[in-house]
Amino acid sequence: MAQQTQVFVPQPDRPPPPDTSGPLAWIRRNLFRDIPNTLMTFVGAYIIFTVVTAIVNWALIDAVWQAETRRECLDAVGRAGACWPGVAAWFENLIYGLYPKDQVWRINLGFLALVVWMVPLWLPKVASKIAIGLSAVMLYPFLASYFFLGGEKGIIWTALIAAGLAGLIWVWATALTEMRTGKPVGTWLVARLGQADTDEILQRRIKQGAALALFAMAFLMVTQISFEEVRTRFWGGLFLTLVISGIGITFSLPAGILLALGRRSKMPVISTLCTLFIELFRSVPLITILFMFNTMLPLFMPAGTEVNQLVRAIVAVCLFAAAYMAEVIRGGLQAIPSGQYEAAKSLGMNYWQTTSQVVLPQALKIMIPTIVGNFIGLFKDTTLVSIIGLFDLMNMARAVGEDTDWLGLFIEPFFVVTLIYFVFCFAMSSYSINLEKKLAAGRDRT
Amino acid sequence: MKKTLFTCGILAAFAATPAVAQETLQTVRDRGILNCQVGLPTPGFYQLADDGMWSGMDVDMCRAVSAAIFGDPDQVEYQSVTSAVRFTSLANAESDMLSRTTTWTAVRDTQLGLDFTAINFYDGQGFMVPADTGITSALELDGATICVLTGTTTELNLADYFRANGMSFTPVTNENVNVLVETYLGGGCDAYTNDKSGLAARRSAFPDPSAHVFLPETVSKEPLGPVVRQGDDAWANLVRWTIYGLMNAEELGVTSENVQEMTGSADPNIARLLGSEGNIGEELGVSPTFMVDAIAAVGNYGEIYERHVGADTAIGIPREGTLNALWTEGGLIYAPPFR
Amino acid sequence: MTVLPDATPSPEGRRGRISRALNDARIRSVLIQVLTLLAVFAAAIWIVNNTVANLNARNMSAGFDFLDVSAGFGIGFTLIPYQEGDSYLRVFAVGIMNTLLVAVVAIVLATIFGVFVGLARLSNNWIIGAVARSYVEVIRNTPLLLQIIAWYFGVFNLLPRPRDSIELANGFVLNNRGFYLPAPVAEAGFSLFAAVVLGAIVFAIGLYVWAQRRLERTGQAFPAILTGVAIVVFVPLLAYVVLGRPVSWDMPVLQGFNFTGGLSVPPSFCALIVALSAYTSCFIAEIIRSGIQSVSKGQLEAAGALNLPSNWTLRRVVMPQAMRVIIPPLISQYLNVTKNSSLAIAIGFPDLVSVWMNTSLNQSGRAIPIVAMTMAFYCAVSLSVSAVMNVYNKRVQLQER
Repeated sequence: MAQQTQVFVPQPDRPPPPDTSGPLAWIRRNLFRDIPNTLMTFVGAYIIFTVVTAIVNWALIDAVWQAETRRECLDAVGRAGACWPGVAAWFENLIYGLYPKDQVWRINLGFLALVVWMVPLWLPKVASKIAIGLSAVMLYPFLASYFFLGGEKGIIWTALIAAGLAGLIWVWATALTEMRTGKPVGTWLVARLGQADTDEILQRRIKQGAALALFAMAFLMVTQISFEEVRTRFWGGLFLTLVISGIGITFSLPAGILLALGRRSKMPVISTLCTLFIELFRSVPLITILFMFNTMLPLFMPAGTEVNQLVRAIVAVCLFAAAYMAEVIRGGLQAIPSGQYEAAKSLGMNYWQTTSQVVLPQALKIMIPTIVGNFIGLFKDTTLVSIIGLFDLMNMARAVGEDTDWLGLFIEPFFVVTLIYFVFCFAMSSYSINLEKKLAAGRDRT
Repeated sequence: MKKTLFTCGILAAFAATPAVAQETLQTVRDRGILNCQVGLPTPGFYQLADDGMWSGMDVDMCRAVSAAIFGDPDQVEYQSVTSAVRFTSLANAESDMLSRTTTWTAVRDTQLGLDFTAINFYDGQGFMVPADTGITSALELDGATICVLTGTTTELNLADYFRANGMSFTPVTNENVNVLVETYLGGGCDAYTNDKSGLAARRSAFPDPSAHVFLPETVSKEPLGPVVRQGDDAWANLVRWTIYGLMNAEELGVTSENVQEMTGSADPNIARLLGSEGNIGEELGVSPTFMVDAIAAVGNYGEIYERHVGADTAIGIPREGTLNALWTEGGLIYAPPFR
Repeated sequence: MTVLPDATPSPEGRRGRISRALNDARIRSVLIQVLTLLAVFAAAIWIVNNTVANLNARNMSAGFDFLDVSAGFGIGFTLIPYQEGDSYLRVFAVGIMNTLLVAVVAIVLATIFGVFVGLARLSNNWIIGAVARSYVEVIRNTPLLLQIIAWYFGVFNLLPRPRDSIELANGFVLNNRGFYLPAPVAEAGFSLFAAVVLGAIVFAIGLYVWAQRRLERTGQAFPAILTGVAIVVFVPLLAYVVLGRPVSWDMPVLQGFNFTGGLSVPPSFCALIVALSAYTSCFIAEIIRSGIQSVSKGQLEAAGALNLPSNWTLRRVVMPQAMRVIIPPLISQYLNVTKNSSLAIAIGFPDLVSVWMNTSLNQSGRAIPIVAMTMAFYCAVSLSVSAVMNVYNKRVQLQER
């Protein structure tokens, strides 16, 4: 009896029931599942509709786009529509403050340099990302300071600027060689000179020599260029906001780490002092700190010392941010199980080795989303420097309404400023969510 | 004799203790820049244009002082700070002078380490109400909600006025005029009070200016003028006499246009003012012709007034018949003689 | 030249001892601490010296003698009686009360709203989810200062004028001068009524504590919360009727320019409260969501394996563990509300910073004592909350080896 092997032939998939796929089904599932759900849909749609139409009507449909003064706007539409020409006339000031118009390219160039500096961080195959990031934090400020400030530069400042310029060149050199050959620029240079097999000391000498040559070249270049001085009194707008928050962010991370370590230190004096500092700065609003530094810092200094108002605001923002960052980092440190410390100790590591190579990398990694959240908070908080009279975005927006041509124009500039803040903060927070997902993917794989 | 000399020396040393404050003129010279404090932009007095230039009546006071010192009115850096920190900023020597519609009061003059130099504008506080309310006098404002700029003498005068007349009110305060004006226009308060010079300017920017009226009462005296730190009399004198010089110039008919011709004038008053006679400039520590530079740069008091707040400007306060007319025309602008 | 053998400790030997001492962790730690302390003291002395010298040179006084001087300005909203002629000290008290009021109201609203927004974000209705999401994104990513201004001008200043007020219910009136509500007025028998209310609350709390203890001892549950709420609601109601209505209501009435009588809050207060609670609620929503998500799945599965009813799983398994994660950041959000209330300055609500550190500082010119007093107040609030927090944290922290 010949038995025929039956081959299993799967039945073709049946089409899904007609009401579970397609846009209609999606609508039914997500919008009209049941009666309360339907009700919520209508409420939600109504909210969206009223808010959106009100804003669109005011900002676009009823708005005035061509006018010489606010009077013309008012005569045309009254207060029903926005009066954009005033904001347009002041837009450059909103971005750059009172910075001399013919020097504005320096600000653009300065920020462009930062972008150029950071680009290798996102390039594939670049290995020394940590070094590049660190160089951006440590060296870029010197380069930018001269772009923004200009004026007389002494020998020390020249050297610092040259270090910044050399850093930029090094970043791109190493990024290029790593992308091409997978080697950092120093190693690549050694290989090109045919010294790859010689002893380490000689190789290091070559690298050092190259670095020195690079620095000398940069130094020469820096002495050749000179910008006219733009005093900080003229800084303002978005530019000033970015400078203050940028310095605050850069400073807060290392200072916060030190403070957090100090607070957890076993030395009672150090830990008490750090705790006192952190709690003091965290317990009072930033406004009061800014006020204190603005009115009282000059009193604390010996008579005749002049401390620039911007510097005082920056010092206040930095200390405030450091105290907040310290608590974030302390949270991360607390999350490291004590087994990690014990393991490090049993390997014979001392305190700084344990901290820098075992504890901190883990603590910082788990706290990245919170740290970025803190940065966003700091960026938003810089609006408060307007209250002590620095011409940041907020105050610049306020100045629009005091211009005789645009007297009383108040809501429109604030609307624009809100948009600017939103764009920046939203970008940062999206990036942080993205980062969080990436990290979570790494952590949760099982 | 020796002992007397010794005592004098000690006394002199003591008298010179606040020496840090004594040399403002020298500090300004060394710096090459006059740090002049103004407020957040305010039309007419210290306004900021979209090209970043400051102008206005109070700004011209700074320019005149700069011209008197350097011969150039533009050696000024304007420090625009909020009113909350204006006096500390001056006390901390960040500003050399403060020229920002600051009212001269006893407390400020005696308790805050300030020295008021001269009055360059006489203001008074008034009220503005919507015309359709039918209110014709401030005395009808009992129980009203009133918008008032905070941290100013206006705020104090308002309270005083209502207390004196046995009335009550609810203040809506802010330090930003535009916030107050928006509140007032939205009906958030029944009346808006400020210095009368400010009221007119604001009303001109309303959608319908004729729908708002000023009440006739002037409820306060507001003598405004530049202020310097106490303890540097030479510096105070320089600021004071530069301003008086501008007023004298108007009285004597010296304008920015004819000032160069006037240097040869036979009138001894004009000759002393412009430095062709006498030693007023030298004794103040500046060039004998400092007033020539100042007047050439900003004009005399009348020119400054008409340029920034006069009838032809956005502020539009006619000068005739007000306190800010020359004393010869019934006003209070009365500068001591230049002799 | 001959070298003598070492009779005295050689330089190397001495150096060796010093370096040994420096390498000894204990000695080094003491040394570091002493040096730090000295540096801090030196800095403090230097600062105090400079300040005294500067103050003398500037003819500025830093004393507190101005506190009993009459302030002379009006304040738009006060919880305690205040007149224009009252002293600066009274202004300080007014500012503190207003700040605390804003903080308490905003904290309560933000918590309620935060839970609501958190749930809305997880809603399976797409539109509600989208509204909640865009709401959170917009609010979290714009400065609070701008939001307060937006609420003030975008909503509360656009309300109708007093004559066309919106009457929400009898005695509850909303217009662009503020929100008006009836004020309770004590009548005869009020103190007895108050005592009854207080007694009911104390009894309910006692009941809850007793029920918790019994639960831990015997495992028997008692619906303490429900009973407690019932007692707090019904006992006063009963007392109210029995005592012959010991409370009457003072209704706001339109008179002259505005409503008088009753309780009222200005629009700046409403805007501040709405903005603060909206802003904070976004953060609270995130905190609560992440807190609940932090409870590991195994716990839920274990509860399921034990066949616990679902509300028990939530109350006895999830919440106690989630609370450990939720409470610390929640408290710091509450502190943030207190600090952020200082932004009231932008719309002129008379909180401590606005009325004290801005107006009073401006009028009196005494920067140092005023800034110091302001900071002292915020420090006191913050530190007392932190102290309570630390005690709680110690109690709930996981005990490690």
